[in-house]
Amino acid sequence: MSEPVVRLERVSKTFRDFWLRPTVKAVDALDLDVRRGEVFGLLGPNGSGKSTTIKMVLGLLAPSSGRVSLFGRSPRSKAARAKLGYLPELSYLHPFLTARETLMYYAGLCGLPGSVARERTRQLLEMVKLSDVAGRAVGGFSKGMARRVALASALVGKPELLVLDEPTSGLDPVSTKEVKTLVKALAKKGMTVLTTSHLLADAEDICDRVMILNRGRTAAEGRVSELGESLEAFFLAKVGSGDDFALADFLA
Amino acid sequence: MISLWRIFWLETVALWRGWTAWMLLAAAIGWLLALPRLLTGDGTAEGARELYVRYGLGGVFALLVVSLLAAATGALATEREERRLQLSLVRPVSAFAVAWGRFLALAALGALVLAAAGALVLAAAWTDRPCSHVLRPLMESPREEAARMYDAYMSAPDTPPEVRKAKKSVVLRLLEQRAKDNYQSVQTNETASWRFPGFHARRLASPQAAPSVRFRFSGDFDMRDDVRGEIAADGLCGGVSNITQTAVTVPLSACGREGERDVLSFTNRGRGAVMLRPRRDVELLFPADAFGWNLLRALLVMASVLAAVVAFGVFLGAGLSRPVALFTAIVLLMVSEMSPSVVDQYPDQLETDRIDRVGLAVARAVGKGLRSVSAMSPLGSLAVGDCVEARDAAGSVAFDFLLVPLVLSALSAALIRRKPA
Repeated sequence: MSEPVVRLERVSKTFRDFWLRPTVKAVDALDLDVRRGEVFGLLGPNGSGKSTTIKMVLGLLAPSSGRVSLFGRSPRSKAARAKLGYLPELSYLHPFLTARETLMYYAGLCGLPGSVARERTRQLLEMVKLSDVAGRAVGGFSKGMARRVALASALVGKPELLVLDEPTSGLDPVSTKEVKTLVKALAKKGMTVLTTSHLLADAEDICDRVMILNRGRTAAEGRVSELGESLEAFFLAKVGSGDDFALADFLA
Repeated sequence: MISLWRIFWLETVALWRGWTAWMLLAAAIGWLLALPRLLTGDGTAEGARELYVRYGLGGVFALLVVSLLAAATGALATEREERRLQLSLVRPVSAFAVAWGRFLALAALGALVLAAAGALVLAAAWTDRPCSHVLRPLMESPREEAARMYDAYMSAPDTPPEVRKAKKSVVLRLLEQRAKDNYQSVQTNETASWRFPGFHARRLASPQAAPSVRFRFSGDFDMRDDVRGEIAADGLCGGVSNITQTAVTVPLSACGREGERDVLSFTNRGRGAVMLRPRRDVELLFPADAFGWNLLRALLVMASVLAAVVAFGVFLGAGLSRPVALFTAIVLLMVSEMSPSVVDQYPDQLETDRIDRVGLAVARAVGKGLRSVSAMSPLGSLAVGDCVEARDAAGSVAFDFLLVPLVLSALSAALIRRKPA
């Protein structure tokens, strides 16, 4: 069996204050494998450690202990980052750039030469249906349009792994559907996708496998179909009560 | 390389579309165009040139230092605070390129505004008078003189015990300060001589060039006294008579006298003694190249110093939040501006309060760190017609434009890798 695209081995992350005293243990002894070609979902309520895990996968945070590898390498290696596309929770675009310039900028960061970058930009703008507004500054775009630009810029380097942090966050139902359709289409083409969400519907629609995180620990892991009812119960309980509870009761 | 170019491009676009670049350019040009209405010179072309150089270019430089420092502190800090930095750092691009590309864009803007200001000054204050290479006498350095004096003090039996007990470094610093201000007195009909290595060789290399001598007399000496004297140097002669200015430039011409090679002598023919500090106050001037070239070298030095300031701002923004970085930058800028005058005006005393000593130590450390920058005064040289030497300009480019920014960008890269979001 081939090396997993993403592998976390006993990874923990403890945040510290200015005096280096531990404040929060965001991730605790997490093991995770994301295989080539699958859509893997990290689920859990706010504060469960999803974003911290994602940042460690991206090399933006160093784990306090354990090992993170991306394509068998350190996430900070250029070779690993060359195969990576990332869509953050909010789009974080440069408001003064046009959609075309945004994609050209990220294409440049991926090392694509001018003509290749231009062609790739054209294709992606068509794909996200923004060709007719390609020359407009993204600062004036609606949230859905900005999300599509951000998704296109995540794809500009032809990544093998796409990391999506809450991809449908804050989108209206139509835009949400569009993003999900796009992710499914990419997965069909063989792209590996690692996504986070606190919405059960997202996981059910697009993920092959999911891991549920609670307080930085793995609460459950498996195929969506296998975890179906437990998943639903978990989310209903979290949303419904909001207080501490034992997941084991619901998974039993 | 492509990624570096893209980061440079992004920062450049941000500066122009965000109006920073336009405003700087407009402010610089506006200041230079308004200058003749705001300040009046002495009515001579030389005076007008000095105004354009000292206040025109000086004002533009001050504006650029403050505004580019502010922009530089925000270059990485704002990107990090608005979470865009992480989007660059997850691409196959080095953190060094992220910092270096931004530095280059800001430094290029500074150079562009300086170039525009320089073009205006060239057009407004052009002169066909060449700048002058400045030769200074070969003398024991103030440090060497201080060491010699220290040894003499310590071996003298009447040296006070508090001086003997004082820290050697403190006494040496005090003596060095005194050595810098050491006056030489030339009595009536007495001749003082100073050695200028390379003077003869220069004369041979360019026999058509007519050298001159510049004397500066300190305020301690009443210049309204009748000052007369004869100058002889390597077969050239000149005379000083009834000078009323603190600085006087005397052209030298052939007089058929055999002089000692590389030696300049001044014979006082006035009624009173003449006092001057030979290390600072006696200079031989050789005509060199045109004003335009000199202006270009001065602009290169200024652009290089500006680049070092920008790199420092980028570095602060890499590790601190924008307001904190900006505050720190402004405080350090003020300290660096004040340090040389603090050290000059408050030389070490053997008995000072602890707080004074701490303040002086800080001022001295900052002054030492910036010695290479503050020792050069391109605008001062340009204003009085002295050449900004090509060697000094090249040194400034290598140190201030390349070495300092490279080191600071490497440190910035380490900081943004450590704290990307």
